[in-house]
Amino acid sequence: MLPLLAAAPALPLDEAGKYVAGAYVVFLALIVVYVAIMAAKLQRIERELRELANFAEQGSPGTPGREAEDVPVDIEAQPVAVSDRNLTPSEAAAGRPDHARGSPDV
Amino acid sequence: MYGKGLRPLSIATVAALVASFSLVFFYAPLDADQGFIQKIFYLHVPLAIVALIGFVIGGVFAVLHLRSGDSRWDAYSYVSIHMSVIFGVAVLITGSIWAKASWGHWWVWDEPTLVSFLIVFLMYATYYPFRYAIEDRERQARYASVFAIAAGAFVPLNFMAVRMAQSLVHPRVFATTNGGLPGSMMLTFLVSLLAIGLLWVTLVKFELTAKSASGQLKRLRRALDAPAPGGSSRVAPEVG
Repeated sequence: MLPLLAAAPALPLDEAGKYVAGAYVVFLALIVVYVAIMAAKLQRIERELRELANFAEQGSPGTPGREAEDVPVDIEAQPVAVSDRNLTPSEAAAGRPDHARGSPDV
Repeated sequence: MYGKGLRPLSIATVAALVASFSLVFFYAPLDADQGFIQKIFYLHVPLAIVALIGFVIGGVFAVLHLRSGDSRWDAYSYVSIHMSVIFGVAVLITGSIWAKASWGHWWVWDEPTLVSFLIVFLMYATYYPFRYAIEDRERQARYASVFAIAAGAFVPLNFMAVRMAQSLVHPRVFATTNGGLPGSMMLTFLVSLLAIGLLWVTLVKFELTAKSASGQLKRLRRALDAPAPGGSSRVAPEVG
């Protein structure tokens, strides 16, 4: 690439050049705008996911005794990343136990 | 599921785009007739080709949706059309810039290529209000598929009609007489076409991945909204 750039002639940025530059800038701008919109969308998804995970963790106490069934034994030793965890409906409905609330947010 | 292979695809797309732009500006010779303005051609024409093929692909996915009833194909069809409409915007803008530089006007109404592409673009622009005017999701998907098939069949017909039109003004990429493009220009054009094609595929995959994540989030929200086995109803928090 570098030898190619070194051997390249200067770009003729005269009258025609501004139109060519304009066309390519428009193309790149469209891509950037699209990527920015998608990034905003992904941020919103991530935020909603975090809020749902928090809600699942801090939800209503549920039926007494359920926590003991659903809590992984080693949750203290290995905190589970919230966004990596697949909650089953029953697990989500039962909520996580209090001692799992300190798991790191992703 | 949709995000699988997105990273290498994105890297390949960026590499192809860089290679394409390098060839355009540092390898392809200046056109004897149009000069430097012709460089727009390496962007404008691949965008137009990929957008039109994308519309047809959207129609093919719509056929698969109607045949199978699988909503996944409807999502593919929607995203294909969505991405091609975005590419269509780029085609119209870059074409207008070329027209201004070459003809002195941003737009001319007596050029079949321009007007026919505008008709196709506007037709697909009606896809969104048409689709979202229907509330029932199943009917929405079914009607949108019918639209995508009909419009997708129109695209090649439109293309052939334009090729048959006797215009001597709009440049032809693959001329059937006088030899067509010289080798270096053809190579540059093909690399540009590959790069823009890869870009389309990558963005479609990106959009599908985002839609899949959004859909799974909604399912999770619905699951949390569902009444708990103990009897108490739980309402997920509203997120702006």
